[in-house]
Amino acid sequence: MELFGETFLDIRNYIEGKNCRSLAAAEQNNAWPLGKGRNVVLSDEMAVELGSPQMNSVSCLIWTQKPDLIRDGKINLIGPDVKDSPEKSLPFGKVVLIGVSGFDEESAYDKYKEIEAVRYSLDLKGYMIRAVSQYQREWSRISREAVQKGFSFEVLGSALREEYLKKSFVHAVEFLFVTSSGEDVGELQEITKNVGRKISALNKMLSEIDPDCDECEYNDVCDEVDELKGMRKTRDEKRMNTNG
Amino acid sequence: MDKKTKIIALCGKGGVGKTSVSALMIKNLAQRKDLKVLAIDADPAVGLCTALGVQIKKTVDDIRNDLINSIKKGESQDKAATLNMLDYELFDALTEYDNIGLLAIGRPESEGCFCKVNSLLKDIIQDLAKNFDVVLIDGEAGVEQINRRVMKTVDHLIMISDTSAKGVNVASTIKHLAQDNKAVDYKSMGMILNRARDESEVSNIKENLPIQLLGWLPEDDLIREFDFQGRSFLDFPDSAGACKTVKQIIQDLQIL
Repeated sequence: MELFGETFLDIRNYIEGKNCRSLAAAEQNNAWPLGKGRNVVLSDEMAVELGSPQMNSVSCLIWTQKPDLIRDGKINLIGPDVKDSPEKSLPFGKVVLIGVSGFDEESAYDKYKEIEAVRYSLDLKGYMIRAVSQYQREWSRISREAVQKGFSFEVLGSALREEYLKKSFVHAVEFLFVTSSGEDVGELQEITKNVGRKISALNKMLSEIDPDCDECEYNDVCDEVDELKGMRKTRDEKRMNTNG
Repeated sequence: MDKKTKIIALCGKGGVGKTSVSALMIKNLAQRKDLKVLAIDADPAVGLCTALGVQIKKTVDDIRNDLINSIKKGESQDKAATLNMLDYELFDALTEYDNIGLLAIGRPESEGCFCKVNSLLKDIIQDLAKNFDVVLIDGEAGVEQINRRVMKTVDHLIMISDTSAKGVNVASTIKHLAQDNKAVDYKSMGMILNRARDESEVSNIKENLPIQLLGWLPEDDLIREFDFQGRSFLDFPDSAGACKTVKQIIQDLQIL
């Protein structure tokens, strides 16, 4: 099922309209040392932090079953890389574009949860992540030692891609990282503002036995997305048949 | 080899100088720049934050109350998403100073039983604690609060008491709760006597003390001055007797 057709288009237009650098994720196994579960980076040892609660931050993940929408292994970077950061704290935007298969009405939400959990399991020495999918925010810190040893968005993207590709239903991964300005991140927030709500609507439709669409907070996104509209129609037909 | 986190909890009757001793321990630990130290102020009065001269922006109970309010409003709570949200909020509540992170537990305000929320928060605190070399908990008088709201297991349970019979009795009760009632799991237990008049007074108390004596501190004008003026104990002079004694105690416990 395709929930994010328009978002994919908007992201492409966004990237084209910015001064974007293109990096490539490494194909070989990620060689970055493990944090061994000790991944807290205190400000005292930090080189740079991205998307802190005091800064603009947006992070989301969108998927498609159309392979031509993803440029596998590509890392789009708008703004300075970690080592070139002019400030200790930068606004941060991140979108992960994932090419998948087998996302149907029944399985899409569970599979989404599996890929959503990947970023939390990443264990890279000197890299700390705190993220809240409900807020679509991601806050990360990179230690001075990690930057000295060459930590970059290429390292991060490569490690993440490797983890995503371990899922049998993930076939391609592309990244967009934005560190240029609060305005650029704000623009990305606007483009992706309904991503989380579409996923929540999907979850609600699957988990609630008898939802009242008139009262539902996600009614507008179900009206907007064909797949959700279809799910709602099928559910309503089933309900009518059951009620005779 | 993976590093092991050492967890110390300090308890004792109110007013015996528990927070000053905790603050002096933090001061000594903070000087070891290769160590990451998590200080947890588990006293609802947030005295440790004041003693370290740190302003707290948010307590664990603020986070807890926000979550309880969202549950009451009927907002859906996916467990994994909730844990990640709590983890984010908890790190945001951490006040950082050099190699120290300070977390204040605060005072519960919501009525009713929210064991599940407390349990989630305790799990997150324990996960956060694993990232530090030393965790020091400045507790309430009751040791059961540490178990219920902060940590299930500690390495060193340290009772602080003045030389009054009341203070020593409270420490004995805490020992009983921890040892016999299993209020908290611990590996070692000891006591620090505070505000003792002299060596002979300590010797008298030691004779009947049911707990191993780790050390003692005399009545100290400098501690009183720091308390009175609200100065940060992080600025307490290294050469002062109280600072040296506390350093020796944490060295004896092989924490430093």
